[in-house]
Amino acid sequence: MESKAGMVGLGLRRDIAEEILDNKILTPDFLEFAPENWMGMGGAWLKVMERALEAYPITCHGLSLSLGSPEELDWEFIGELKEFLDTYKVAIYSEHLSYTKSKNAHLYDLLPIPFRQDAIDHVVDRIRRVQDRLERPLAIENVSYYTPVAAEMTEVEFVSEIVDRAGCNMLLDVNNVYVNAFNHNYDAKDFIGKLPLDKVAYIHMAGHEQVEPDLIIDTHGQPIIDPVYELFEWTIQKMDPVPVLLERDYNFEDLEQIQGELTQIKGILNKHWKLAHETA
Amino acid sequence: MKLRKETIEIQEQLGAYCRTGIEQELPGITPGRIHHYRRLISNVVNDTLRTAFPITVAALGDETWLLLVEDFFSAGVPQTPQVWKLPLEFYQFHASRESGKRLNLPFLDDLLYFEWMEIEIHTMPDRPYPDFVNEGDLLKDTLAFNPEYEIVKLEYPVHTHPVREARELKGEYFSLLYRMPESGNVQFLNLSALNVYIITRLQEEKVPLNEIKNEIARVAGIESGRYLDDALTKFSGDLLERKMILGFKEK
Ligand SMILES: [Fe+2]
Repeated sequence: MESKAGMVGLGLRRDIAEEILDNKILTPDFLEFAPENWMGMGGAWLKVMERALEAYPITCHGLSLSLGSPEELDWEFIGELKEFLDTYKVAIYSEHLSYTKSKNAHLYDLLPIPFRQDAIDHVVDRIRRVQDRLERPLAIENVSYYTPVAAEMTEVEFVSEIVDRAGCNMLLDVNNVYVNAFNHNYDAKDFIGKLPLDKVAYIHMAGHEQVEPDLIIDTHGQPIIDPVYELFEWTIQKMDPVPVLLERDYNFEDLEQIQGELTQIKGILNKHWKLAHETA
Repeated sequence: MKLRKETIEIQEQLGAYCRTGIEQELPGITPGRIHHYRRLISNVVNDTLRTAFPITVAALGDETWLLLVEDFFSAGVPQTPQVWKLPLEFYQFHASRESGKRLNLPFLDDLLYFEWMEIEIHTMPDRPYPDFVNEGDLLKDTLAFNPEYEIVKLEYPVHTHPVREARELKGEYFSLLYRMPESGNVQFLNLSALNVYIITRLQEEKVPLNEIKNEIARVAGIESGRYLDDALTKFSGDLLERKMILGFKEK
């Protein structure tokens, strides 16, 4: 299997997919798909996807597993997902440590799981079952959240124990750590220092938007801010090389600016992960 | 189940608040923050549906449209993990609740269905193409149809008229939606009931037009002869030009 360590990728959203493939400005090393947005499609979209697969290595970032919710996992969907991941030989598949379903209704956004022991036990069990079915490890992402709900422990305790016990990998979203540290008044480096960094298989970087004096929303629409780059540089020195993704969901008018972000991320990686870059 | 009953209830309360906007007593939350979840989720649902149903939105106006979205958002139970399929569930939800009847919008089901079908035809999995050759005779050879099509039956002609007019024209209408080879763009073609009959029979029998000519004449109540030959040649030639017919099956 090809290692993507040290590579810098970009998310492939359907609405701007053709632009990403056609332009001469963006030069990501790989692309990230949300499988839900491409599974079961034919016609023009399938052609776009096949073009992307021909031109780039890919990773997948899921949206709808709803690992944290009470209702049973959607095994039919997970079966289709496995077929998709197998067909396109996807090695890195990540999902959110959150829930997106409530009373069996999909809500299409990431709700915060209560940081509690019973929720840990529940999620650990579900991650293991999904991994068994998919026959590949999951990389679990720390999500941004705007309020805790009924927490009985800290976020870092919650995340760390799940990753430790589930035998999964972690997708470390550095921007989410920054956003959460800001929104909930904790120290971002202290948080990252307590994570099982040896389990991190993938990193996300992104921009965000401050909507209130004490609240940042994780929008993926803005350029990455300097403190997030700094946190990123601090973090990668503590871990082995992995692929890094720039998440950008909209505001694609200025491709040069987005390419600038890819270049800046790459520059930081090359400073600290020289060997990995050469062998990648 | 490893989750405590209390944890489940808390999770469901947050979900219920997001869907209905009815405040819940959630323990251990930061004041003034929870509404962002409802806002973010309703943005996703709104944007998805608005993009899927531009004609419906324009025809109903914002107030009625938002009523439909709100109703679906709070009472619907979206089942698809793929948000781009949500418009289908929106259509099904309102059809099953007879929202069109309730709001005196008798054409609503047709409009939602028609707009969804455009998405459906555009995105559906590829269907296997038949082998075909480009040269042949429209009447004597078996026609090779583009397999990526559906015929939509409507009660109101929302596909050809503004809804103001369409609502007065209740009847039976057919539209052929198909995917163009290569580009994947969706094309529309209005069909008469007889057109639908001809296409359906040709697809079922897989024979040249000549072999079902007499049957067509009977159904249409006309004589089989020169006039019918000309009409069938024109109809099938038109479908060929529009790439709804790809060519001719090899003998
Ligand atoms: Fe992320």
